[in-house]
Amino acid sequence: MSPSERRLQKELMSLMKEPPPGVTVDGDQASQNLTLWTIHMEGVPGTLYEGEKFELQFKFTNKYPFDSPEVTFIGNNIPVHPHVYSNGHICLSILTDDWSPALSVQSVCLSIVSMLSSCKEKKRPPDNSFYVKTCNKNPKKTKWWYHDDSV
Amino acid sequence: MAETSEAKPSPSAPGGDAGGEEEKRDERMLECNICLDTARDAVVSMCGHLFCWPCLHQWLETRPSRQVCPVCKAAISRDKVIPLYGRGNTKQEDPRNKVPPRPAGQRTEPENNSGFPGFSFGEGFHMSFGIGAFPFGVFTSTFNFGDPRPSAAPRGTAQYEEEQFLSKIFLWVAILFVLWLIFA
Ligand SMILES: [Zn+2]
Ligand SMILES: [Zn+2]
Repeated sequence: MSPSERRLQKELMSLMKEPPPGVTVDGDQASQNLTLWTIHMEGVPGTLYEGEKFELQFKFTNKYPFDSPEVTFIGNNIPVHPHVYSNGHICLSILTDDWSPALSVQSVCLSIVSMLSSCKEKKRPPDNSFYVKTCNKNPKKTKWWYHDDSV
Repeated sequence: MAETSEAKPSPSAPGGDAGGEEEKRDERMLECNICLDTARDAVVSMCGHLFCWPCLHQWLETRPSRQVCPVCKAAISRDKVIPLYGRGNTKQEDPRNKVPPRPAGQRTEPENNSGFPGFSFGEGFHMSFGIGAFPFGVFTSTFNFGDPRPSAAPRGTAQYEEEQFLSKIFLWVAILFVLWLIFA
């Protein structure tokens, strides 16, 4: 088992055993193919996304955890949020520039939950239609310009 | 767009009073922050974070221009980590002196650079280029049989002298190089 598979296996075990609230991993799918995970996420009660259900896809390379995972929303309910494009791409600095091998699937999920929970107004990013038409399929290829507007 | 405060991997296993839970937490304390296994060839950073040396080394190589602690983002480097020796470890060998096992094709440490940039030995292509093409090129430019190359500077000018001088140096370098290849 390669170091990246070993680490993914450990993460999968702990995520299945002690999932954070509102987050569940499709364990069967992930154990069949450790490089492609689907995570089910529920909107936190008391936030704008209460009662909504989302699906996140994680893709890993064999350089994980040195290389960040490719994380996108998939399925027919993409959250309407100023940092989430309608094609599921997420503008979140820890997914590219600020990635660290000490982060994990769990910490990425928690960041996304908190990103959604702190949202004050449901709207798409201002450049959504342009971005969705021109972007690469892999959000990691996008040179994101992170500006801190604490949403 | 969202500059998130990193969700740090918290070792917050739900606190249980059972002995097993306690033991598990003790083990976690000694886990590498990168591979999540018990740290082997362990080193600790100035900020107090524990890693396997091979894991940390790979991370430092991944972003050589921005070497930060994976856990807390403090500055970190090869010289600013302390190797940890447990009781069973009698040899006390500094893990940083071992070359970590790593995939082929990575760059070597700068201090190991040989004096011939561009010639990397052990790779077939560069080797054959070094033996075949290099001395040949010198040969033609040193003894040009009354037929100066169109680009050559006119005889007698400073540039011509310089070219002659340079080609002599190259000839010597080439001879030394070939001798070295034969006797090394
Ligand atoms: Zn490690
Ligand atoms: Zn640190």
